[in-house]
Amino acid sequence: MVLPDVLPDVLAYLPAISPGALVAQFLVGLSRSMILFLVASGLTLILGVLRVINFAHGSLYMIGAFLGFSVFSMLGSGSTGFWLALLVAPLGVALLGLLMERGLLRYIYAREHLLQALLTFAVLLILGDLVKLTWGVGWKSISPPDFLTGSFLVFGLPVPRYNMFLIIVGFLVAIGLWLFIDKTRMGKITRAAAADREMVGTLGINAGWVFAVVFVIGAWLAGLGGALIAPTITITPGMDIGLIIEAFLIVIIGGMGNIWGALLGALIIGLAHSFGVLFWSQFSIVFPYVIAAIVLIVRPSGLLKSTW
Amino acid sequence: MKPKGVLKGVILVAVALVMAVALFVPGCAPAAPTGGVIKVGVLHCYSGPPGAFGREGTNGFQMGVDEINAAGGVLGRTIEFTTRDTKFKPDIALSMAKELVMMEKVDILVGTMNSAGALAVSEYAKGEKVPFIVWQSQSERITGEFGHRYVFSVVPNTRIWGKSIAEFEAKQPYTKYWTGGDDYEYGHAIDNAFWRYLKQLKPEVEEMGETWWKPGEPDLAPYFTAILAAKPEAVLLCPGGASASNVWKVAKTTGLAEAVHLVIPVNMDNTVISAVGLEGAEGVLSNTNYLWYYPETRENMAYVKRFYDAYGGYPGFCAFSGYTTAYWIKAAFEKAGSVDIEKFIDAMEGLKIDSPVGKIEMRAYDHQVIAPIFVGVTKRVPEYNVIQADIIATVPGKDVMPPIEEIKKARGEL
Repeated sequence: MVLPDVLPDVLAYLPAISPGALVAQFLVGLSRSMILFLVASGLTLILGVLRVINFAHGSLYMIGAFLGFSVFSMLGSGSTGFWLALLVAPLGVALLGLLMERGLLRYIYAREHLLQALLTFAVLLILGDLVKLTWGVGWKSISPPDFLTGSFLVFGLPVPRYNMFLIIVGFLVAIGLWLFIDKTRMGKITRAAAADREMVGTLGINAGWVFAVVFVIGAWLAGLGGALIAPTITITPGMDIGLIIEAFLIVIIGGMGNIWGALLGALIIGLAHSFGVLFWSQFSIVFPYVIAAIVLIVRPSGLLKSTW
Repeated sequence: MKPKGVLKGVILVAVALVMAVALFVPGCAPAAPTGGVIKVGVLHCYSGPPGAFGREGTNGFQMGVDEINAAGGVLGRTIEFTTRDTKFKPDIALSMAKELVMMEKVDILVGTMNSAGALAVSEYAKGEKVPFIVWQSQSERITGEFGHRYVFSVVPNTRIWGKSIAEFEAKQPYTKYWTGGDDYEYGHAIDNAFWRYLKQLKPEVEEMGETWWKPGEPDLAPYFTAILAAKPEAVLLCPGGASASNVWKVAKTTGLAEAVHLVIPVNMDNTVISAVGLEGAEGVLSNTNYLWYYPETRENMAYVKRFYDAYGGYPGFCAFSGYTTAYWIKAAFEKAGSVDIEKFIDAMEGLKIDSPVGKIEMRAYDHQVIAPIFVGVTKRVPEYNVIQADIIATVPGKDVMPPIEEIKKARGEL
């Protein structure tokens, strides 16, 4: 298919799109952006401070969803189960993150990136198989409480209520992260460690401890993303792989190590996808990659300042 | 600390980790020595989202094989099988097929989920003269265009799925359609078959547009809200893999199922729909070749109970394929009265066996199974905490089989 052939079709279709469709598509895209932001912000935080390319970050997201399912079904699949799943699953993943950082990653900080990538890639494979051993290969699902199910109408077109909930939670987490990084001592140390970790060590701050905390926060964010998205998808092994690619794309677009870059990147990818589907659905898959390519050509270090 | 020593250590650890992972992959255990056995090589996908189907299919086969062996086996021999994970990839399916035939010396190949994998293995089986029973791949080309003496299909194909449901859709009052699904062979093949027959039966239907997402796309909401924005009267969705289950959920949350008349072929299968509990869309027209709750015959209920006792869950269409595959093998060897492979093939042609849904037949000409298709409309069943189907019709297999002329034409024999 050649571009000029389909372009008239696309243009002819444009006036037919109602304002309701634009708003619905915007809200649905925004909710996806929020999940992407949760996962990508953790990834970029780890990348910025620890300087480790964590391929296993998608696995942490997947485990968040599976843990959420376990908590949800153990508590009788009701709304209590849902809220506790959102609380417990990310904490469980944070604990796993702590074990991963203290048990494996801290031994390789001084090594070259290739070796670090090899290790985190190995962890991705191991966690993938452990998930299969623990939860089996069957499809799982979580139901949100009644008031979050179904949809409401925007200009006559339905928008799922749960997606609105995702947007709210996403904004709350973004504000929480901003408060943590800008207003707390720990946040200041984190920023300093990202800029110059040797200097932080020289000042008598235990850099190893800073790294552990950052990794745990990153893991918690990934776990929260997994637990939050669970009601909108089918939870299966393999959900880690698709997401990690998108998350890396976002980190690269936004500037490696920059949390606001991750937010910007997530908004771009999420909205490009959802409007791409509306305007030109057969090419919607390529939009995120085209944007990433353009950003890399115009600003190779990402849209915002990279800490690398 | 010498850097070289550390590097060596890291490499050692990496090798150890790779080996540890390899241990978890199913099917790596060495097979028992042969002797008085019929060896079957099972190629199936146990990885990623399609793994749910894979495990269930092999469970059904295992149950059939266990029953047959407990009842004295086949011609005094027991059936044994070894399985390999294809990871949903055609090239891995092919290399595993070669390994099973050359190293494990299997007598029969069974399996695959991915249609491209089935076609690759089928081509190899033809050259090696090894029977290959396809139990889940549903491309109509397997027994159509690329059919041959050594390949059999025990599962309805995309053409059968599309035709059997189009006949019911044609009776609906709708004319403005939107179609979509997972953007790969299976999704498009069902869509094509559906349209071919719907257009034939009701020429006034019009396709307003199409929406295809990449296979396994986790976020279906923007696709469904975009379809709603176009305001079609009816929507045909042909999802596969993990989205098969997810569409039921998102069709409900986005309000798609309420706003339009929805048709989702094949996916009212238990494995697909039970994963979403009561969160699935209602009032959707769908079809399948096996349901654990219909028909309520003694044979089906007994089979469901045995399966539930063995695996703690209800069987879906994959388990049905696996289970009947074991009985196809048994019946064909018994009819042949010998373990000779050529005689096995001759015996398979036109063979009829009893199954949980009644008598099913292997059509002699193209080796495509003739079995009933159930058409139904989904509804909530709170006592089982799932969405099930109200069966509106049982279509006899012979009514939806592709005519022999069509097969001959596809194979260039006419």
